[in-house]
Amino acid sequence: MASGIRDRVVIAGMGCTLFGERWDAGPDVLMVEAFEEALADAGLERGQIEAAWLGSALDDVNVGNSALPLAFSLRLPPIPVTRVENMCATGTEALRAATYAVASGACDVALALGVEKLKDTGYGGLPLRTKGLANDLWMPYGSAPGSFAQLAGAYAARHRIKAEDLKRAMAHISWKSHQNAANNAKAHLRKELTIDAIINAPLIADPLGLFDCCGVSDGAACAIVTTPDIARGLGKTNPVAIKAIQLSASNGWESQYGEWDGSYVRNTREAARRAYREAGIANPRTDLDITEVHDCFSITELVTMEDLGLSDEGRAPIDVLDGAYDRSGRLPCQIDGGLKCFGHPVGASGLRMAYEVYLQLLGRAGARQRTKVDLGLTHNLGGAPYSSVAAVSVFGRLD
Amino acid sequence: MAERYVKSVGAYLPILRLERQQASAAMRWSGLAGPRTGRRSVAGWDEDALTMAAEAARQALAGDTVDNLRCVTFASTSAPFIERQQSVLMLDVLQLDRSLSTLDVSGSRRCAVSALARALTSGEAGDELIVAGERRRTAAGNPLELAWGDGGAAAIVSERGCARLLGHHSRNVDLVDIYSSPERPAPYQSEERFIRDVAVSEVLAPAVAEVCAAAGIEPGEIDVAVVPEPVTGTYRVLKAKVGLKAANLSEVVQAKSGDLGAAHALFGLALALESCAPGAKVLLVGFGSGCDALVLEVARPLAGQNANATLATGVSFADYVRFLSLTGSLDIDWGPRSETEQKASASVLARHGRDFTGFVGGRDASGNVQFPKTPVPVSPEPGIRGAWQDVVLADAPAKVLSITTDRLNFTPDPPFHFGLVQFDNGARVLMEFCDSQARSPVVGDPVRMRFRVKSIDRKRGFRTYFWKAAPMTRPVLEG
Repeated sequence: MASGIRDRVVIAGMGCTLFGERWDAGPDVLMVEAFEEALADAGLERGQIEAAWLGSALDDVNVGNSALPLAFSLRLPPIPVTRVENMCATGTEALRAATYAVASGACDVALALGVEKLKDTGYGGLPLRTKGLANDLWMPYGSAPGSFAQLAGAYAARHRIKAEDLKRAMAHISWKSHQNAANNAKAHLRKELTIDAIINAPLIADPLGLFDCCGVSDGAACAIVTTPDIARGLGKTNPVAIKAIQLSASNGWESQYGEWDGSYVRNTREAARRAYREAGIANPRTDLDITEVHDCFSITELVTMEDLGLSDEGRAPIDVLDGAYDRSGRLPCQIDGGLKCFGHPVGASGLRMAYEVYLQLLGRAGARQRTKVDLGLTHNLGGAPYSSVAAVSVFGRLD
Repeated sequence: MAERYVKSVGAYLPILRLERQQASAAMRWSGLAGPRTGRRSVAGWDEDALTMAAEAARQALAGDTVDNLRCVTFASTSAPFIERQQSVLMLDVLQLDRSLSTLDVSGSRRCAVSALARALTSGEAGDELIVAGERRRTAAGNPLELAWGDGGAAAIVSERGCARLLGHHSRNVDLVDIYSSPERPAPYQSEERFIRDVAVSEVLAPAVAEVCAAAGIEPGEIDVAVVPEPVTGTYRVLKAKVGLKAANLSEVVQAKSGDLGAAHALFGLALALESCAPGAKVLLVGFGSGCDALVLEVARPLAGQNANATLATGVSFADYVRFLSLTGSLDIDWGPRSETEQKASASVLARHGRDFTGFVGGRDASGNVQFPKTPVPVSPEPGIRGAWQDVVLADAPAKVLSITTDRLNFTPDPPFHFGLVQFDNGARVLMEFCDSQARSPVVGDPVRMRFRVKSIDRKRGFRTYFWKAAPMTRPVLEG
């Protein structure tokens, strides 16, 4: 049985741009901003990077395809550079590739950078993409909110929760993210909202209203990973270690086979199960100190709390309303504002989550710093509940 | 020659009906005249002559065997394709054998009745399916935009059936009451009194006299007439001139749905066969560039009330601007989200077209049904490549597993409904929903499948088709 990557790789440095409507910056500028912060943080030279992965999910026409946008923007030496794409889980996919490269011994220092420049599309929401020429002949062109709205309906039906009660718990999730982002200078949306404003917002896809949905942003985030020995050589006495990165992808079982009831995300459960095993986590509710999950929609965060085993099935609305996941709660979630308010530049989001956990573990999170953070989790979800890619990562300190 | 019968008929209207009075009120400022009573049927953005004809054909074929089918004829003056044979697509929609004889007919709105007459007088053995659909363009403000409607109808001709042909007469006259052309796709109509007078004197009256003579009856012995009127009042003048006494069911269709073009007479025939007792004589006329006139004798009543029920159910609306958008008279700027590339690949269509057009899934070796068929089945049983047994999902019972009303994505007639549909046979398919204007389906609702336009590539003038889930029933129209 594979022993996993636990503690084989550490983060030497990270960077993250201001997220938002970056009319001032193209994808090249965003990549350079994130990279320069990470490089300075790591105390490394550009020439020490031996391999790089670029995560960019949606915007071929802007960022461009292949590895070249990264290599050109950063003027990397002629090292192996690869572009990865796995929908909204792209950022974690880039980090996974760089981590595996170091863990395998193929290289000592690797770069993972995620970027998305969506606001040049000229409209809100994610661009529509082809699902493949054959699938386009029959598959609906549903929007992302439309896909996740169905999770809300199925969750309410399974747990017999009244629509208005679920809506209030969902509103609390969005309210919390707006509260948290007010303390984050790099966040896209920093304005606090009232619960009533969230509940009464116009519907986007029933029952998701405007404030149940994250927007889309421009931004980039970056990690430089290396071995524990090299990190110590750089003077990092207590570096952030990667405890686990696990991924799970749908094979059509949810959307084409007759068993799934639509009320949960199977891939999150599977990725979490394997990540906990890889990281040696026996009880995530007590072992974890902070989480950054894929709150593309309020209902996604709510259901994810159960899929990660942090709330009992059917209990997440109660835990949410009790403040369990607020910044002062037992296990803060999205203390940086999350996708909802920090922003969602798709290819960068998985690395942005890691960035916040990284800062918290190093005690560098400023006004939003938690007093005790030894273990943090990120959850990065791509696709739709019925057809998804889920990544769960765990970060901590070397054993 | 063996006697030929109309064996069964089918009728279909889109769910939307425009209230003519309120629509004409929106144009009152202009002083332009048009019909102000009744309703006209309005095709959804994803319906065209082919889809509506297909729904009528499904109705005509319901519960019947297709083993004896020899020929499929598609009739329309508004076919979505000029060069791409609709009757061939119809074989795939209905999953009929690809060796059947196929033919598209057009040229005037009598083409469906002409095809029916040929089938009824043909000496060849085997059944013939005649399907008609119409979604004709009209210009905003033209009286025809409220006088016409969208819909489909179908008839099957066989050696046995519910109506026997007693007589037939064709009369061909180049009467230009309306015309359309590539240079003018919307119809141009001549002066109404001229049309009425000449249509009766030169076309209809002589034809009715001849067909009654061929049938061996007097016009006064006709029990039910289906005579499409090129302009209102035509039948009244004809009736007085030739001694007809029968009511004209065409006027019922005209009032409740509008003139359905090539599908109009077949729709009226469906109404007649649903209501007539055995022995009744039906006068059926297809009008345009002359006419084809038939006298049929009802041998036995047609089972079911599909045509009457179709007329009586739907969703009424009065928004003239929405109507103009649906009919293409108003080109709304839907913004950047509507600019998605819709190009379809001919080679992909060649590989998957018959299965997708016919909604054919497959049963794998473990017994699980899925759509579409894939190299490795989705069933959790050990994934091995194997032979599929075809399973047509078009008529399979199904329910809503999940659904949402999506207000973000572009659709030409918002909002957009989509979700997972669970078939009783085990198949599960992510689908679009249609006909949800009265009430959005909810989880657990039974749904039926409707053949619809999937996407329209306006840049290249191409469209693709697939199936959408619709509520099982439609609301009854008031009034």
